[in-house]
Amino acid sequence: MKKLFKYIFLLPAVMLIASCSESYLDINTDPNNPTSVTPDLALPVAQNLTATYLLINNRVNTLGNLLMYNWSQSDGYAWYPDEFKYLVTSSFYATCFNTAYQNPLKQYQTLDRPDDPTYDYYTAISMIMKAFHFQILVDIYGDIPYSEALLRSLNPSPVYDDALTVYEDLIVKLSAAIDLIDNASDVAIAPADDDIIFGGDMTSWKQFANTIKMRILVRQSDMSGREAYIQDEIDAILAEGSGFITTDVGVNPGYVKETNKQNPFWDSYGEDAAGTEVMNGKATCASDYVLEFLDNTNDPRIDLIYEEPATGHLGVPQGLLDYDTPVKDAYTSDKVSNIGPGILKGPDQDAIIFTLAESNFNLAEAALKGYLSDDPQDLYESGITASFHYLTDGAAGYEAQAETYYSQAIINVGWTITPDEGKLEAIITQKWIALNGIDAIQSWFDYNRTGFPSDLPISLLAVGVHDDRPVRLMYPASELASNADNVPDQPEPFTEKIFWAQ
Amino acid sequence: MKRILSLLVCLLLFGFYAAFGQDIQIKGTVTASEDGSPLPGVYILIKGTNNGVATDVNGKYQMTVPSNVTLVFSSVGYKSQEVTLAGQSVLDVVMEAETVNLDEVVVTALGIKREKREVTYQTQKVSDDEILKTAPTRAATALTGKVAGLQINSQDNGVNPSTQITLRGFRSISGTNDATVVIDGSIASIGALDDLNPNDIADINILKGANAAALYGSKASNGALIVTTKKGATNQKFTVGITSAYTVEKVAYMPDFQSEYGTGWEGAYDAIENTNWGPRFDGTMRQIGPTFADGSYQEVPYAPVKNNLLDFFESGDTWTNTAYVSGGDQTSTFYISAGQQSSDGIVPEDAYKRYTFRANASKRLGKLELAFNATYFSDHTDVVGNTIGDQDRPLYWFLLNTSANIPLSRYKNWRTDLYATPDTYYNGYYENPYWGVGTNRNIDDTRRLTGNIAVSYDILSWMKLTGRAAMNNSWGNGKNWRAAQEFDPVLQPSHSAVSSFVEDSEFQYKDYNFDAILAIDRDITDMVSLKANLGATNQTRQTRSSQIRANNLSIPDFYDVSNGTGTPEVDVTESEYINYGFFGDFTVGYGNYLFLNFSGRNDWTSTLEKGNNSYFYPAFGLSFVITDAFKGLQNNILSFAKITASNSTVFNDLDPYAINERYSQQTGFPYGDLNGFALSTTTVDANIKKEKINTTELGIDLGFLNNRITFDASYYMTSTTDLITTITPSIASGAASFLTNIGELQNNGFEATLGGRVLEIAGFTWDLSFNYTTTTTKVVEITKDINEVTLVTGGGGLYGVYAIVDEVYPQIKASAYERDPQGRLIVDPSSGAPIETAALKKLGRTIPKHILGTNTTLAYKGISVSATLDYRTGHVYYEQGSDQMEFTGRSLESVSANRQDFVIPNSVIETSPGVYVPNTDIPVSGGRQSYWTDVYNNVKENYVKDASAVKIRELAIDYTLPTKLLSKTPITKVKVGFIARNLMTWLPKENHFADPEFANSYTNSNAIGIGGYLQSPPTRSFGFSLNLEF
Repeated sequence: MKKLFKYIFLLPAVMLIASCSESYLDINTDPNNPTSVTPDLALPVAQNLTATYLLINNRVNTLGNLLMYNWSQSDGYAWYPDEFKYLVTSSFYATCFNTAYQNPLKQYQTLDRPDDPTYDYYTAISMIMKAFHFQILVDIYGDIPYSEALLRSLNPSPVYDDALTVYEDLIVKLSAAIDLIDNASDVAIAPADDDIIFGGDMTSWKQFANTIKMRILVRQSDMSGREAYIQDEIDAILAEGSGFITTDVGVNPGYVKETNKQNPFWDSYGEDAAGTEVMNGKATCASDYVLEFLDNTNDPRIDLIYEEPATGHLGVPQGLLDYDTPVKDAYTSDKVSNIGPGILKGPDQDAIIFTLAESNFNLAEAALKGYLSDDPQDLYESGITASFHYLTDGAAGYEAQAETYYSQAIINVGWTITPDEGKLEAIITQKWIALNGIDAIQSWFDYNRTGFPSDLPISLLAVGVHDDRPVRLMYPASELASNADNVPDQPEPFTEKIFWAQ
Repeated sequence: MKRILSLLVCLLLFGFYAAFGQDIQIKGTVTASEDGSPLPGVYILIKGTNNGVATDVNGKYQMTVPSNVTLVFSSVGYKSQEVTLAGQSVLDVVMEAETVNLDEVVVTALGIKREKREVTYQTQKVSDDEILKTAPTRAATALTGKVAGLQINSQDNGVNPSTQITLRGFRSISGTNDATVVIDGSIASIGALDDLNPNDIADINILKGANAAALYGSKASNGALIVTTKKGATNQKFTVGITSAYTVEKVAYMPDFQSEYGTGWEGAYDAIENTNWGPRFDGTMRQIGPTFADGSYQEVPYAPVKNNLLDFFESGDTWTNTAYVSGGDQTSTFYISAGQQSSDGIVPEDAYKRYTFRANASKRLGKLELAFNATYFSDHTDVVGNTIGDQDRPLYWFLLNTSANIPLSRYKNWRTDLYATPDTYYNGYYENPYWGVGTNRNIDDTRRLTGNIAVSYDILSWMKLTGRAAMNNSWGNGKNWRAAQEFDPVLQPSHSAVSSFVEDSEFQYKDYNFDAILAIDRDITDMVSLKANLGATNQTRQTRSSQIRANNLSIPDFYDVSNGTGTPEVDVTESEYINYGFFGDFTVGYGNYLFLNFSGRNDWTSTLEKGNNSYFYPAFGLSFVITDAFKGLQNNILSFAKITASNSTVFNDLDPYAINERYSQQTGFPYGDLNGFALSTTTVDANIKKEKINTTELGIDLGFLNNRITFDASYYMTSTTDLITTITPSIASGAASFLTNIGELQNNGFEATLGGRVLEIAGFTWDLSFNYTTTTTKVVEITKDINEVTLVTGGGGLYGVYAIVDEVYPQIKASAYERDPQGRLIVDPSSGAPIETAALKKLGRTIPKHILGTNTTLAYKGISVSATLDYRTGHVYYEQGSDQMEFTGRSLESVSANRQDFVIPNSVIETSPGVYVPNTDIPVSGGRQSYWTDVYNNVKENYVKDASAVKIRELAIDYTLPTKLLSKTPITKVKVGFIARNLMTWLPKENHFADPEFANSYTNSNAIGIGGYLQSPPTRSFGFSLNLEF
């Protein structure tokens, strides 16, 4: 009987004993994914996500190039139907909103640890880069989730903050970031190669913070009643003393000609890792207008921004339906000017997130408007020179080429020939050329604010439907669904301008 | 913990006060009451145990039993009988026939057998005859249309198809809604069922609700399929059998295409276009494809080629063969089988082979019984890859992008034919599909070993202890590859070179289950009986998968990862899960007509937070056989009536590791020695906890005309609360998904089965049954500020499947037309184009509201004709294929206005707010093409179609040779049959594209309702079957 009892009891007993031991269920640690990482492993990812957010196909830069009539479409490709119709809906370029928050901003937020002094430098970089992104979001959408954003599970439905309030807070945050760099704790870990923008050079970060501040302030410079604020803030930048960026700001973790490791812009519009020209590159080409403009102004950059086919430069009007009239197959990919070698340099090129040219043009505008004592002409011409520098890779003689170009007696090219009331248009127009293909979204913001370039055509498919290009995007459908109580009423995308353009 | 231990000890000790009886030998003959003929295959079980024997071909049996036990004699078609032994050594029994046997034994949780009258919830059994009628290659597909409450979706018609099995609709948004599968008492998986040779299955009992399976724990919250395999019986003659079938599979129907316009763009003819926006067909000879260096080119008539895409598909062949032997002596049984299937699909070069081996054996050693069963499965799949060409498209895409005037099947010889090679093929944008077949392959080998070992010991005549160890292990490896392709820049200027890759993958899935059950079956008094099961279970599940992908291979046609250039992409994923539980299940019977059931289970899981990882869940049920309690109610018409009521609670845990937010190495990293990790886009609620599913079920079973006609019906209501769900937060929160517990989902439904023998005259019988299912799941509450969860979206966010508060789930939403109160389309007066709604519009549920299945069998002297038909309706689906066809100009709609600008019929303009005036003269622009490709195609409402379908799922005509004819041969059985599957399908007129049952496999498995273009078109198959026994 006893023996029997033991026998019967054996199975459940063994299981019970096994079960009761402390560690039996203690297996819930993911062997493939860490639950925390040190900042040096998170920072390069965040910075690379900034690059992809801006530069891969059908994201921010593509939108800018299409809305600013820079890019068009080769025959045989139906690549941009919605863009050419200005079909701004809640799904149109929703990635501009969604990707910003769920990729780079999310990742920068993990580095923002103000209570941990060992993180001071990383926190400062995080604050600067978040300001960089939030400004772009405001410029595209107006009011955005900001003060309650990025809290993940703690707040799955953040409120929307007033766009101007966000703008002002960005300046505050950028100042705080510079302060934090200046007063970093002794135990603070300094970033090094993991900072794939400035390699851990914190002075460059302060200059970049000032440059972003200037972008924010100049953007507001057409608003009435903001003069004193702008002047105070610019004075504060000058007082801080680090100055502004001195080179193009680019991201480069070590891009290389391998699948998933190429420069994101090159990967999207250049060649794949096997060296094959990608479809986006074949489908995308210059518009007729942009080539004419460059040609009419004797701009040598025409061959750098756009590739010259054997048959000579050829652009395509945006929204063309019949590609075969009057000449059949006139606009096939091999005959039109696709994106050029000054922009598509190679798989290992830096991914540009802020151009020196733009910084100079922003300063020129501030100077023109009297906020800076510098000579606006110098700044304007240095903007053009910076553009030549980038497109030629600083090849010998680029400065002379630039000088030849901007010395022409052509309005919107030469500074002195351009009448005073047209000088702002010259700055914005030159910025449009300098950012063509590179960071064209900024030109769209400028256009919405200033209306320059003033004779920029609209897409043929929008003719008769819209008078002009949209001035903003609509909030993505996902926000209407997942944040219904907070998302503002959908704005009218052709009339309701962002606050700085009103 | 301690308390449960002592409880268990007490219960165990409780069993030991009675002494053991003496074993005796008993034998006898069982005969049929109608003609006195001996009855073979009658099961004789010692009551309260699973121990027993079956009669041999002469109706004789012999067994060793404890004295004074009660023997239960049962056989399908006969009333079961109980005889309590009183010292005799010979016991002859006469069995009385029963038209329909309602006292069948059902197998419930963990292999526990119960008489159906005791079961307090709804079950339905499908026998091997019904499963094997049309020689299916997967058992699950053969259940379609046969069981109320069960929905089987065949998700594609490839050579190795996958199925989705749900019972009573959906109860979860993020978790699985698949039913669990139990094979011979051990938890297995749908994959294990798919990998089982259908010929090895004795029957499948379907436990429909969570009630039915509370004893399986969380996994059973979606119901269970209890599979019992063929075993062989004691004293069974040695039987050898062969079953073979051959079927031919053909495309049943293609989408309806327009056949008025061909190759071209914006109304102009274009010799290399994939689209059909050219001029109207005129029958003239026209160039297609490039002009060659010598100035020559290919010419075909500019006219539609009938069935040009259909002709691409071949007819598929499937051979299945199974050989089996079974038998038994006094104390042992065995069943061994070997099966083989080889199939060619309808897609050229698709091939599939599989082998199954099964062994079941049992041996009784006095009070000890040992049982063993196992399946070894191996298969080999070789199919076309689904990342074809420079755009990584599936094969069907290349077909849909072939113009109507292209004689596609002419280009089969893509390596040599003058007009079929990559450089010379007509299409300037999408390559020759035959080239796709030849240069993209997915090759997979999988293996599975499923089985268990059980040891039972009869402690007392009414108490038995069973221990069981089971495994369900699957492993395999795969190789996907694509060949590189360069194109001549003059002949094919628009093609980009196609890069090569090889992807090597391996996976392992290990699932181990251990159970120990103490079973008690005792009559306490004459009127009161107790059946109880006490047990402990333990499950361990480990998964591991790894992939290596090498790109841009150096040596052509050499598919090894060493051949790649650049850094190979590597991924390894592992997981481990442990769960254990204790349960008790008690059924108290009174007078054999009233049964009360209580069960409870406590689980501990590895995936929830320590200290919060244990949960107890109870279930209660009642079964009342009214006609036995009140014999007066029984009359010529009503022969049986039973009502049941039950309530059960089940808790569910998380997936392994899901409790923590995690980082993962970012794509592209490491760059040299620079590594990088990204925080997941899924955020996790810090307080995430178990979810609760509560189900109440009411049922009634009726038998009429001496149970010749039966009717079963049940109503159920399930409420899931604290649902573990991946909801969609505002993306501005920095997360794209949020794993949390949400409010409530309510699922309720009704199902009924009516069946019986309609006619029985002179050897002719006609059986007919109907089963009806309706089920609806509604989202009651999600969480504060969040009113919907996105399951999947497509078309750049213009359509998707959602769970939306106060709506039926799953729900399709899509961009839609703005309509006036009368439902007319409102157009923009400036463009004539329809105005779209600002937000996506809810367009309907994607699970059928009504499913009606019908089964019928006509039999006469060995000939039998049977058919299964089902009708699903009340739901919609998104026709992804016709969406894609809009761009290519092959849709019927695109020719509805003769490719001209036109006034949208029945449209209005809004002259002032709320005032709508019919639009009679403002046409759309771009009617030649761009209206269709850019405007119409953006209104995804156009592709949401009625998903109703009537299908003849199965038709079988078979003939069994009379045994007289075989008497002089060693053959004992010959059965031949004609079989057909999916013989006919009727779809509503508006759905002229695809089978609404198909789903695109890349989607979330709960996001059903989007389908159409990743797979080949629907097929039907027919053929012959043969069964021989010796």
